[in-house]
Amino acid sequence: MRFFKKTSIDFMSRRRVWYAVSSLVILAGFISLAVKGFDLGIDFLGGTELIVEFSQPAPIGDVRTALERAGVTRAEIKAYGSDRNILIRAATVATVEGVAVGDRLREGLKAGFQDNPFHVLKEDKIGPKIGAELRRDAIYAIIASLVAISLYVAVRFKFAYGVGAIVSLLHDVLVTLAFVSICDGFLNLEIDQNMIAAFLTLVGTSINDTVVIFDRIRENQRIFKTMPLVDLMNKSINECLSRTFITNGSIFMVLLVILVFGGEVLRGFAFALTIGAVTGTYSTVYIASAIVLEMAQRTKAKTVMA
Amino acid sequence: MRKYTSKLLIVIASVALAAYFLYPTYKDYSLHKDIAPLHGEDSLAFITKHEKEILENRTKRIKLGLDLQGGMRVVLEVNILKLIEDLAKNKDDAFVQIMKEVHEATRTTDESPVLLLRRKFEERKIRMSRYYGSLRDDDDKIYASLEDEAKKAIDRGMEIVRNRVDQYGVSEPSIQKLGGSRVIVELPGVSKEAEVRQLLQGTALLEFKLLKDPEVAYRVMTEIDKILASSGVVDSTAADSAKTVAASDTSKIATPEGELSPEEFAKKHPFFTVARVSERVPGEAFVASDDKDKVRRILDREDVRRAIPNDMDFVWSAKPDQRFSSADKKYFVLYPLKKTAELTGGVVTNAKSTLDQGTGLPIVTMEMNSDGSREWARITGANINKRIAIVLDNAIFSAPVVRNKITGGHSQIEGMENLDEARLLEIVLKAGALPAPVEIIEQRSVGPSLGEDSIRSGILSSVIATLLTVLFMIFYYRTGGAVADVAVVFCMVFLLGVLAAFQATLTLPGIAGVILTLAVSVDANVLINERIREEHATGKTLRASIDAGYARAWTAIFDSNLTTFISGIILYQFGTGPVQGFALTLMIGIVTSMFAAVFITRVIFTIMSDRFSMNINFG
Repeated sequence: MRFFKKTSIDFMSRRRVWYAVSSLVILAGFISLAVKGFDLGIDFLGGTELIVEFSQPAPIGDVRTALERAGVTRAEIKAYGSDRNILIRAATVATVEGVAVGDRLREGLKAGFQDNPFHVLKEDKIGPKIGAELRRDAIYAIIASLVAISLYVAVRFKFAYGVGAIVSLLHDVLVTLAFVSICDGFLNLEIDQNMIAAFLTLVGTSINDTVVIFDRIRENQRIFKTMPLVDLMNKSINECLSRTFITNGSIFMVLLVILVFGGEVLRGFAFALTIGAVTGTYSTVYIASAIVLEMAQRTKAKTVMA
Repeated sequence: MRKYTSKLLIVIASVALAAYFLYPTYKDYSLHKDIAPLHGEDSLAFITKHEKEILENRTKRIKLGLDLQGGMRVVLEVNILKLIEDLAKNKDDAFVQIMKEVHEATRTTDESPVLLLRRKFEERKIRMSRYYGSLRDDDDKIYASLEDEAKKAIDRGMEIVRNRVDQYGVSEPSIQKLGGSRVIVELPGVSKEAEVRQLLQGTALLEFKLLKDPEVAYRVMTEIDKILASSGVVDSTAADSAKTVAASDTSKIATPEGELSPEEFAKKHPFFTVARVSERVPGEAFVASDDKDKVRRILDREDVRRAIPNDMDFVWSAKPDQRFSSADKKYFVLYPLKKTAELTGGVVTNAKSTLDQGTGLPIVTMEMNSDGSREWARITGANINKRIAIVLDNAIFSAPVVRNKITGGHSQIEGMENLDEARLLEIVLKAGALPAPVEIIEQRSVGPSLGEDSIRSGILSSVIATLLTVLFMIFYYRTGGAVADVAVVFCMVFLLGVLAAFQATLTLPGIAGVILTLAVSVDANVLINERIREEHATGKTLRASIDAGYARAWTAIFDSNLTTFISGIILYQFGTGPVQGFALTLMIGIVTSMFAAVFITRVIFTIMSDRFSMNINFG
């Protein structure tokens, strides 16, 4: 069984078109972020979050009225997976009229839904200090992983490959962020610790794909010493095409399964990874390899001019 | 000797090792299944019968994270700022202003508050001795002693929390220090928030309580023994305990009725079988740590409680007793105490553990304020040669004998086994004097039903993902794919085995990590199989194609997995709880998948082609 016969597609010549496409997606993401803002989860915001399950559907409006009656105003209320599960978030861990916010929320719900009993699925209280720290750590972690991976690639291959790696990883992070921001609202796609874990993982799987192609280029370079880099790259990508589709296809399939059957807690995580699987495959060709090519051509141009 | 024999042995050995580590997890699961349909008395009987087995398997199984089994995770922070504020004397406006600035500064930096405080003093050219230590001390000395106090406060906070959690009786709690001033407490299966808050945050209570007269205590214990014997509740393990007791002492057990065999002793004296008394240390009872719950249950019984006098309480020692415990068997002491405290710990102003200059033995000295000293003199004067227990949050840390009347508030406690024990006592005594102010800065709780849902959807998606991948591999690569599938199965078994060996915790993102490992493992085989196909297409023999395929694919597999591993390390560093679980499974998965996908498949192919001369179909 073979999906691909021996192919010889000229990937690299169309790279400028794809630069534009990538830029557009990232731009759309920035616009969406500017309009919607970051939908940060409780981990990074700090505050009190309660996820409750009612025995019958509970309209969000009713929940809001019940909570307002209990003295908790400005709480964020949204459905969590189904219309019986409600997520309630108050921006503070402090007390309202001497009662901890969590208890206040419970009391309010109990009073407002006397014939619709509920139980608490999950309760988080994050102090403001922790929230700020986690935010800082998350940014450090992503930057650290980008740098560490690019350094490794630069050492194992060549400097230009390291640059290609870091740009393509940054690209993947931004594209995924764009999709997360745009699709938030249809799905619960808050940026929480799990989401950051997903970002770090997609960085890992994306570089995995890139390294496989780089490895092939390195190998072909040794065999076909005089072949121009563009042709070498096209040849290598074509040779790996089958593997690229089979591997990333199965990763995509696996992630799709988690997205559909993995439950609400893992949804954001699986979503980000699914987008990451697609953009990671694409960026290997049109960002990582393309950048290496651009850099090589530029240095060549310089030597010619000198 | 065929060349694959040793490799095959390696494979078999690793499978055996994984099975060995996974067995407790399986056994734990099957024991749970056995208990599930039982109720009340039956389940209790089952638990007592299999107690040892259950405990042993539980400690060795793969643990489920709080997000899967439900429970509470609390991060406490010791408020160092408050501590250094409390330690200062002659606080004036300038000091209040400085504290305010230090407080501001702590929000933006991780540096120690003590260091920040020192800088503020230096900026203003104020000597620290204005508020701390004695006037002659220079800043260096005061700074060092404040840092020391801060460090001790964290140890104290941690010890107080550990002590309380131990007394609370949560199964498998985890208490860890995090960074400079934080303590993480994880309480599986606990969801009562108010209780936990009380447990972790309330002020520590240090008390001094008199031990009851040994004769009275023995009488009460004999009474309890009789009640148990007559009610006829003899559990089957009692005879076993009696046997081990007999084995360690003498073959027969000497009692007032003459010598009895262990079985007879267990029948006649159910209480003394688990709570051993000795002539050498009258008034105390020794309980093996395995029997602690049993004795607790006995003391909770209605009829037993009636037999205990109103002013008397049985209180446990906080730690196993050093004198009788060995590495594999630990004994706690059950002390009979007078219910009302003679004195509470608020009067203690200082405590210090040192080595006695004369004897070289570890001692702890304790100072009290003037009110406390007066009371202390009266109490010690009236109870010479009796014992006073030092009780923190209802657990006994020491029960020294009063030698003479102590006036002036300066006491010295001797008889510690080693300096560590003395240090612990210092911590305990100081808990009364300087409560380490702890604050809850993070609290997460997951209800058991969400945990169950998560496990169900986690397992469902794992099964679907595995099936799809396995079927696709066979469909696309035929025999090559089937061998890759075998590798995937091995990879999963190894992954779980390593998790069990590390006694790691499986979290929901961890399950996602397991599924992702599946994909990584498949990827390695896709790389290899594609390469073998390519080599085969150039006209090489099957055997040569396989060899070349593995050799060529190896660098790609190694480099690509290593980069993913790097992001795993960073993830582990950054993440907390569940996310760390994911990072750990991902990293272990990368290693096991490389072993399974590269090494094991190779062995299988070699055996297939060499031993059975099979023509392997790569699709």
